[in-house]
Amino acid sequence: MPASSESITLAGDLHARPAGALAVAAGRFAATVSLTAGAKTTDAKSVLGVMGLGATSGQQVTVSADGPDAAEAVATLIAILKEATHVGG
Amino acid sequence: MSQLGPRVGIVLVSHSDRLAEGAAELAVQVGGGSVRVIAAGGTEDGGLGTSAEKVGQALAAAESGAGVLVLPDLGSAVLTVLAMLDDLHGARVVLADAPFVEGAVAATVTAAAGGDLRAVAKAAEEAWHARKL
Repeated sequence: MPASSESITLAGDLHARPAGALAVAAGRFAATVSLTAGAKTTDAKSVLGVMGLGATSGQQVTVSADGPDAAEAVATLIAILKEATHVGG
Repeated sequence: MSQLGPRVGIVLVSHSDRLAEGAAELAVQVGGGSVRVIAAGGTEDGGLGTSAEKVGQALAAAESGAGVLVLPDLGSAVLTVLAMLDDLHGARVVLADAPFVEGAVAATVTAAAGGDLRAVAKAAEEAWHARKL
């Protein structure tokens, strides 16, 4: 199974609504998708796990996926992280 | 990505109308707005308590073809829902044992992603294990 991974530095804190957007998007992929921030890693499909990362502005977040649509999953989540952490919420 | 059909609906049964409405508002916002999250809080005259009639209306409003997950806040809300489930033969309604706010948010997000009733119930119940700190 293909695996894919990419990192991004957050432009804002990871609030509830972006966490929801990430988990909804992740849940639509067949691949397993995880997010890592600092010492914490969570299933990206779990909104409570994503919120529990407590990821803040300036922190590096890594999206990793493993499965048939892993590359698309990573690209989609990185795009959401870029967009959503600009507006907060 | 797969094509998504009807989403599982969510009914929030609380003793307080404002608590149910507020939890529903939050869950819809975090879930992106594609899921029916229906509040059934308080008694028919606006007091604290639960109303079988309100719950019944909410169940109908939440159903869009994929079933409904019901989240109660406290003990007697559970009793109200359980008494109703006995009369709902054949309906795809599942009562979740989950924390109210976290369960509502987790269930709504999983429903928005296209999860089936079992997956949505599991997401709600896994909220017991989600740490905030």
